Amino acid sequence: MSSDAVVDAIVVGSGPSAVNAAYPLVEAGLTVRMLDVGNRDATYAGTIPDGPFSELRRTDRDQHRYFLGEELEGIGFGHTGAGAQLTPPRQYVCKDTDRLQPIASNSFFPLQSLAEGGLGQAWGAGSPPFSAADLAGFPIGLDDLQPHYEVVADRIGISGARDDLMPFLGPMFAMQSPVEVDSNGEGILRRYAAQRRALNKTGVYLGHPRIAMLSRPHRGRLANRSWDMDFWSDAGKSVYRPTWTLDELKMFSNFSVVSRRLVRTFEERANGEVVVTAANVDGSGTEQHRARSLVLAAGTLGTTRIVLRSLSHFERAVPLVCNPHSYAALLNLNTLGEAVRDERHSMAQFCLVHAPEGHARPFTVGHFYSYRSLLLFRLMKDNPLPMRENLTIMRHLSPSFGVLILQHRDEPSSTKYCSLAEGDEAPLEIEYSLSAAEQLRNDAIEADIARGLRKLRCLKLKTMRPGHAASVHYAGTLPMSSKDVELTTDRDGRLHRTRRVYIADGSVFPSLPSKGLTFTMMANADRIGCHVRSALRA
Amino acid sequence: MVATSRSHTAPIAASRDLADLRREAVWLARYLIDVEPPTDLVERYVVANAKVLRETPTARDARILAFVHAHPWSLGWLDAGTALTRGAPLLRRKLVVMMAILEATPEFLEQTAPIDDAGIAALAWRLGRAGAKAAAKIVGGTLLAAVVVRT
Repeated sequence: MSSDAVVDAIVVGSGPSAVNAAYPLVEAGLTVRMLDVGNRDATYAGTIPDGPFSELRRTDRDQHRYFLGEELEGIGFGHTGAGAQLTPPRQYVCKDTDRLQPIASNSFFPLQSLAEGGLGQAWGAGSPPFSAADLAGFPIGLDDLQPHYEVVADRIGISGARDDLMPFLGPMFAMQSPVEVDSNGEGILRRYAAQRRALNKTGVYLGHPRIAMLSRPHRGRLANRSWDMDFWSDAGKSVYRPTWTLDELKMFSNFSVVSRRLVRTFEERANGEVVVTAANVDGSGTEQHRARSLVLAAGTLGTTRIVLRSLSHFERAVPLVCNPHSYAALLNLNTLGEAVRDERHSMAQFCLVHAPEGHARPFTVGHFYSYRSLLLFRLMKDNPLPMRENLTIMRHLSPSFGVLILQHRDEPSSTKYCSLAEGDEAPLEIEYSLSAAEQLRNDAIEADIARGLRKLRCLKLKTMRPGHAASVHYAGTLPMSSKDVELTTDRDGRLHRTRRVYIADGSVFPSLPSKGLTFTMMANADRIGCHVRSALRA
Repeated sequence: MVATSRSHTAPIAASRDLADLRREAVWLARYLIDVEPPTDLVERYVVANAKVLRETPTARDARILAFVHAHPWSLGWLDAGTALTRGAPLLRRKLVVMMAILEATPEFLEQTAPIDDAGIAALAWRLGRAGAKAAAKIVGGTLLAAVVVRT
């Protein structure tokens, strides 16, 4: 496909939304061109040996190169904020964003990506679908999303179980059986089984998480090998990364990718074409691409920039939502001093739901991670004890350490917004703060969950609040709305007041329930892709 | 003449700094896990200082570090004495860097890997002993740090 040719659709971005929006278009034989910066890992790709974490620690003399990083970037002394969880081999996902996607804020420090695959390349793979209650107030319902959940679940591979969390997570036919829980998580789940009735009465439910990780081979990818290397390497491709779908798309002759392009603006012409202007990030020039329709999926903040700049809405505030995040550091007394199995995966071991009012009312979801597959110095640096004794204590307690990551729901308000000043290099200005009532609500939920955790013999040692942007779930800037209002989209992702400009990423979600957004974003992107396909055929 | 004098003193100062860092690496490794670090680890520590500990030390940090260099026996006490200080003192950051380097070296896995099968009695005894030692060192170390910072 020549870059001068008018294609059926241009898709901007290559992250989870972009590849899933592109898929139904490409599969239908439509010509699709993806425009993306597409940074890749030039430092660690291919350098991490294929083997279990424990074996590499025992044998690999070069392990410091990836565990600590070539520039020692894995030894950080800063505040735990957005991106603190990225290991050195994952940090490339944020490369160049300070320069090319500047943010101005005193309260919100988001993670952005210009990598091939976007933020999905470092994603935790948690995939809880939204329930009907989660979608209350949206112009779409669960019936609209359900078929696309199934399609995407098959495309990316979701594992999970039909257990106590079914009322909160819903059925899923394309789901694989769960990957084995590690010893730490198993100890807590055993305790839960013994205390189920009492815990359920207080609104606490535990079960297997829905994770985009394979328990059996699927689409050329391997089942998770329990090597505990999922934070460091993608060997075996068990954990879903958007580049796996991108690789599938590249097999189609009607699909092309133009890399090293940062899309600046779009313009709809009278002849029905959409003209997209993109800068070459390796040079100084810009170029234009033409299509019959445009799908923006550059990540919420990236897409918002493009829309505000294209429609000249400078200094105009648009809403922004993001799940407030907290990390509860836990000591699991159920397994203290007991031998643990070496074989394990690194992702969430179980999912906790706090639903004192049942599944039809808003509830809170958390995911439990064991503190394994990371080195102890990261724990020791925050523990105010002399280092020698610190080491002794951490060596003995760390096998029973865990972190419960909670994400609270978020709704738009007058204290959460962003705007763009005029000029190509202008930063996106963001203001974000929770109201006192929201903070109190979240604190009360956390206190209630801590009581439940004590019944599970999990001692909360510390609560960390990594800052407003830390959940990396940014949404709501161009929300879907049933009213024809500027800077909103219709229920099918079409930007109001445009004919063929669609938005397929987090921007369109008006609010966020207490669940990771990524899986729903992918399902919605597939839904929007299907709609664009129908519109193009019509 | 001035330019010549500068070009002579800079490398001398740098080599003295390097020698200090190499000595420091050995003390830190001995303190943390009772080992003599091999040369490649010492050099890794020197490089790490240039990469992740680049800020100019505060007056307090400089005094504490100078005292440790003059009296290596004080390392454990001053580590304990500054453990509760806000904002990660330089000595603490240096210890974290050396700990990271030792942990990411297979030869020292035995001394740094998690221990998961101690049994509850041994675990309680070891934690109690480490906690008591830590408390005593914090008391003594805090006094020593106060003296070192004032002198």
